[in-house]
Amino acid sequence: MFEHVIIGQYLPGQSVLHRMDARAKLLCLFFLLIIIFMTNDWIGYGSVWVGTLIMFFLSGVSFRYMRKGMIPILILIAFTFLLHAFFTKEGTILLSLGAFSVYSGGLQEGTFIAMRLFLLVWMTSLFTLTTSPIDLTDALEQIFRPLERFGISPHEIAFMMSIAIRFIPTLLQETEKVLKAQVARGADFTKGSLKDRSQAFISLLVPLFVRSFRRAEELAYAMEARGYHGGVGRTKLRKLTWRRRDTAACLVVFCFGMICMFLRQ
Amino acid sequence: MHWKPIQLIYAALFAALMGIGANVTSYLVIGGVPITLQSIIAIIAGALLGSRLGALSMTIYALVGLVGMPVFAGFSGGVRALVSPTFGFILSFIVVAFVVGKMIEKKKKIVTSYAFFVAFIGLALNYMIGTNYMYFAYLWIADAPDGFSYSMVWLWMALPLVKDIILTILTAVSIPKLLRMRTHHLAETKQTAS
Repeated sequence: MFEHVIIGQYLPGQSVLHRMDARAKLLCLFFLLIIIFMTNDWIGYGSVWVGTLIMFFLSGVSFRYMRKGMIPILILIAFTFLLHAFFTKEGTILLSLGAFSVYSGGLQEGTFIAMRLFLLVWMTSLFTLTTSPIDLTDALEQIFRPLERFGISPHEIAFMMSIAIRFIPTLLQETEKVLKAQVARGADFTKGSLKDRSQAFISLLVPLFVRSFRRAEELAYAMEARGYHGGVGRTKLRKLTWRRRDTAACLVVFCFGMICMFLRQ
Repeated sequence: MHWKPIQLIYAALFAALMGIGANVTSYLVIGGVPITLQSIIAIIAGALLGSRLGALSMTIYALVGLVGMPVFAGFSGGVRALVSPTFGFILSFIVVAFVVGKMIEKKKKIVTSYAFFVAFIGLALNYMIGTNYMYFAYLWIADAPDGFSYSMVWLWMALPLVKDIILTILTAVSIPKLLRMRTHHLAETKQTAS
């Protein structure tokens, strides 16, 4: 059940979006989110739809995969739509159901907000699907560089993020081991009185922390033995390269945003 | 301020534990309610790591989730979490760890009753920030109309709150134990190091 934890949501691939620099993608995403929040009419939503569809085709993500990812969010979207459809009282009455009546303004407002949520989720998902967490961590390390002035080391943040990602599968194994060991000793996590189950729970929690701390220490010793000393003068295995096409992509998105702003007035 | 490697790794460790705690629901069921252990792991992170490192580790957790690892509840992750109304809970863990850490640091000896007090302050912060964020997220992102009220949001949170209260009691009992374990562990480490 935990298989997908290790892989993450990233889909490896060779599409245009995959090959873009992670920093450029982050910048583009930032522009796009602003555009979505500024949009408030049919023309605006239409153009954002077209833009998102183009990005979707460029990403090479299959339709079926995308649909699977979007289904959980549909409940929230449907809920939001209904909330607006029933509670906004503008325009003409289209339908009356007892105490509730649906106004045309409510329907339009509901459609807009539902589209906004849908597009927000779609766009951010596309970003996550085409950018590996490791690349993004490297990108964040560079983006956070100005924080150094406030005593926060971007290298340390990126380092901790990679260690945390690496630790997840290891700790899952540890959890399962402790769980099995306690079950073998007679602990029952699924039935029994509240007191019994509470005890079983504590018997899981404490050893898990002991083992985790031991793991952490082993790793720290290994690092110190190899002379780890933080970000200064450290060379990198992976390097991010900003190419001309990354600049071009950012410009395209920026111009798209400008056109949307222009059409808005 | 620069951290020692072991501190960096402890922070990373708790970030990873959060990711697991958010999703162990299939293992542990108390009274029919599936469980996420996030709020209590945030409390423990503050207690064991201290305010600064605890808050740092919760920030790392949020970042790891945002870059796309499925560490948030329900195996979700990625930038889309930013537009989710429940993102406030993830932010609240940072505050929870910091405040709990500060309160634990103040006392030399932690008795169970004090641990109870601290743990519940942590839980209260968790829900105050998370639920208020949720309310305002619905207002801003989804432009919720007038029919949507403040008490509605709190009503949604009532069921998970009951489960978290039980968990927090258990955690409060374990905190002195865990703290003893940590001091013991540190003493052991110093012996082997010298």
